[in-house]
Amino acid sequence: MSAPTTAAPGAPVVELDLAELRRDPYPAYAWLRRTAPLAWVPSVGRHLLTRYEDIVHAEKLPAVFSSREEGSLLLRTVGPNMLREDDPGHRRLRAAAEPPTRPRQVRDLWADAFERTAHELLDRIADRGEADLIADFAEPLVAANLALVLGLRTASAADVSDWSRAMMAANGNYADDPGIWLRAEQATRAIEEAVAEAADAVRGAPDGSVISSMVHAADPVSLTEIQNNVKVIIGGGVNEPRDVFGVGAWALLQRPEALEKVLKDPASWKRVFEETARWISPIGMYPRQLTQGYQIAGVTLPAGSRVALVIASGNRDESVFERADEFDLDRPHRPHLAFGGGPHFCMGAWVARHEVSAIAWPLVFSRLKGLRLAEGTTASDSGSAAGRLDGWVFRGLTSLNVTWHAP
Amino acid sequence: MPTVIFQLPDGTERKVTAESGTALMQAAVSNGVEGIVAECGGNASCATCHVYVADAQCELVGPPNDVEDEMLDFTAAERRPTSRLSCQIQLSDALDGLVVHVPEEQV
Repeated sequence: MSAPTTAAPGAPVVELDLAELRRDPYPAYAWLRRTAPLAWVPSVGRHLLTRYEDIVHAEKLPAVFSSREEGSLLLRTVGPNMLREDDPGHRRLRAAAEPPTRPRQVRDLWADAFERTAHELLDRIADRGEADLIADFAEPLVAANLALVLGLRTASAADVSDWSRAMMAANGNYADDPGIWLRAEQATRAIEEAVAEAADAVRGAPDGSVISSMVHAADPVSLTEIQNNVKVIIGGGVNEPRDVFGVGAWALLQRPEALEKVLKDPASWKRVFEETARWISPIGMYPRQLTQGYQIAGVTLPAGSRVALVIASGNRDESVFERADEFDLDRPHRPHLAFGGGPHFCMGAWVARHEVSAIAWPLVFSRLKGLRLAEGTTASDSGSAAGRLDGWVFRGLTSLNVTWHAP
Repeated sequence: MPTVIFQLPDGTERKVTAESGTALMQAAVSNGVEGIVAECGGNASCATCHVYVADAQCELVGPPNDVEDEMLDFTAAERRPTSRLSCQIQLSDALDGLVVHVPEEQV
């Protein structure tokens, strides 16, 4: 399968500025959905597929829209892994890794520890009356939770965060910066050592973690496979729940009426999670490569074509979500695309839902009395939270400065 | 080829015919039955293809497997004794005439 590096015949070519896309991709997506729902974007080197129905269609055809992408930076960063594999190879690894992330296991095995960690982090900042809820709370919380679920007993939350950041940088290293590759190699070597150590420990004493589950899988999995897949999970497992937490908290702090309603009805935190993930999807797009010629969105793509399924755009599709650009907890329930679809449906979905909507948000809003945004409120204020929204492949707040009434 | 009936939340019905061996979820999705979301494509990891099997046919369809049983605790609409994930029901001639009710919410 060769990978054409130019537009498919008949595909519109659209120049998009990557810096602008990182700053705010949504105007470009709205334009693409209206005028060129499948467009070749030279700066990305892929065809962008931007309408909801087309993305859902592609997700349901994994035999055509393959996860095995030639020249994938993720493959270079972490080695062969289930995210860049199709069934049955993908299924074998997923089945081995998945049990500890299922919802009942999350509730029964992990939830108490998640809650303890959240309280500990809040204990550290409660008296200060101000904090950056991303750096001081969300990131260390999700990193510690991830280390626990994976079974990395010797890794600290800071280790997991650093590893994740180093690998994510490499995964987007289109400029081929040698420094970024070096940091990623150091991170992946450290993960390999930590996984090998954990795998040894659970061989005789299973502990319910992902590493333990893979070590004891009915269909055997090699140590290298465990190591590479743990790398992938660390790569995505920090920023996605962190970003949903940050964006959802930010959205509510700007909408006191919505916040008040949510605080009166704790069951609605689940709605906050799903609407936040739809509104500003932590993962904006993921790549696919065609195994055969296929017509979609009015263009016939030849075999080998690279396509980006832009789920952040699908989640703003006005034909599916009325007033799609608005954060609206009362909108009619429609399935969003933020967790992806098909065989690769996000394995961490149940962990993220629980740690953010059942633990992190309720505890932050109940313990930090009088919580409000610390930033100025004008759009031109460079310190505003909106200025700290960044990214299009991954998107979230880089900081969320807040104040509250310290005891 | 078995025929199954999906009763939709708005009171309408969709009759669908599919090959034996096809998952009920697949039969729904292939025929555009509204309300069967099936985010995970049939791997029992999303709980968005929830259906209620008609009371009289529950025994015929059988109980959920272990993984499915777990996911059914986390469906958006309430779990009932008749709840199943449609991705885990394989159609066969014995299930010809199966009637399932699609819940109001899947997510």
